Amino acid sequence: MRLMGRAGWGLLIGWLWLTGVASLPAAALDVPPLSGRIMDQAHALPLAVAERLSADLAAHEAKTSNQVAVLIIPSLEGEPLFDFSHRVATTWKLGRKGTDNGVLLLIAIKDRKIRLEVGYGLEGVLTDARSAQIIRNEIVPRFRAGDVPAGVTAGVQAILRTIEGTYRAPERPAATPSSSDAFANAVFAVILGVVVGLLFSRAHRVLGPVVGGGLSFLAAPWVIPAVIAGAVSLVLVGLLGMLGPSSGSRRRGDGSAFDGTWFSTQQGGWGGGGFSGGGGDFGGGGASGNW
Amino acid sequence: MVMSLMRSMVGVVLLAAVLALSGCGYNDLQGLDEDSKAAWSEVINQYQRRADLIPNLVNTVKGYAAHEKETLESVVQARAKATSVQVTPELLKDEAAFKKFQEAQQGLSSALGRLLALAENYPNLKADQGFRDLQSQLEGTENRITVARKRYIDKVAEFNKMVRYFPTNLTAKFLLHLDEKANFTVADEKAVAKPPEVKF
Repeated sequence: MRLMGRAGWGLLIGWLWLTGVASLPAAALDVPPLSGRIMDQAHALPLAVAERLSADLAAHEAKTSNQVAVLIIPSLEGEPLFDFSHRVATTWKLGRKGTDNGVLLLIAIKDRKIRLEVGYGLEGVLTDARSAQIIRNEIVPRFRAGDVPAGVTAGVQAILRTIEGTYRAPERPAATPSSSDAFANAVFAVILGVVVGLLFSRAHRVLGPVVGGGLSFLAAPWVIPAVIAGAVSLVLVGLLGMLGPSSGSRRRGDGSAFDGTWFSTQQGGWGGGGFSGGGGDFGGGGASGNW
Repeated sequence: MVMSLMRSMVGVVLLAAVLALSGCGYNDLQGLDEDSKAAWSEVINQYQRRADLIPNLVNTVKGYAAHEKETLESVVQARAKATSVQVTPELLKDEAAFKKFQEAQQGLSSALGRLLALAENYPNLKADQGFRDLQSQLEGTENRITVARKRYIDKVAEFNKMVRYFPTNLTAKFLLHLDEKANFTVADEKAVAKPPEVKF
């Protein structure tokens, strides 16, 4: 699982690098890639608040498996509130697959709109009426007083109190990965190696394939899959590296694939495995409000 | 090592070829048929949930605005009409029944919209906790209807494509006797994109 998260990041970075961040078409409002529990794109929260909330949510998830995330955007840019929040929630897939125990708190600063999107599995406790109460009684008064951080904090705490105890985190499965897991891991090791290797091969012809192959070798489980994964990555990076970026026509990324203008709490990034949704689904439950 | 890799690649290619050839779509059609029926049940389910909320809503509004008889009556009537038209998954082939169902539900939507708009004139009603809860439940249900309908539309589009495309159309026609299913129309979709205005 952890490996998958890492590979996911690799893919994301690789994709951003290949397409060039700025050249993305801005059709409907884009769903931002999920990288943390508190996604503050509007700079509404001080770092300390965001980190504390993020830690609270992480602790809550560890205990109950409920996945709660907060997204603060500057503006909806004309898109209907529910359309966007449902799109974000179903794209991020908050909550575990099967129990669908995810919650999204969306705040659009300029539109002064709030939406609580509740996954199928939590609709029973975090009902529409309860969601509306949280928005009306906890969040809106503080927002009206101009204190967004306090409103978000109070809202999140009310959500956690409400959904506390509905689910328990599953026992950790025994650490004996099945053969299909091993295969999946090997595949991800190759993808990881190729993506990173390609990044490196921009710097150096030989270094890229070596780094990619080595990384795949290290990331794959056990010896035989590791050797195969390493070799595949070595060959792929070598071939792709020769074809691709050296042609010079491709747009050059500026090194960092991340948009530096917004803050999101990343739980350790590459090392700790970021935050990702567990496959939960949303059917439209929750409530909206404005301030 | 390279040999074994080659061999496994040949295996993958062969497997892909077999899968591509077995494109009669029998299982896919059956699966999509079942999926779209399930999606339809969810649509019905959410419409039913809305209908269930209405008696409570009407009673609450009556407590504050009993003299708005006309609006209240029209909601009750629209609800009765909507609940009398039921479309079971088996009846989905019937375009006429489907249309009637849509119209009845739309009638209820607009009657409800008028009732909720009326609440704007009654500050006490607007402040009533029970009314507020009902309002949020109603809003949530409208959203759920939107989601359920969208999922139904997507599933049926997938299903209908298979029923029409070659060669799966042969399987659908001669083996499974499946017809295209009725879907929500675009004009109707526009009306739904604007749910009754709910203000807080």
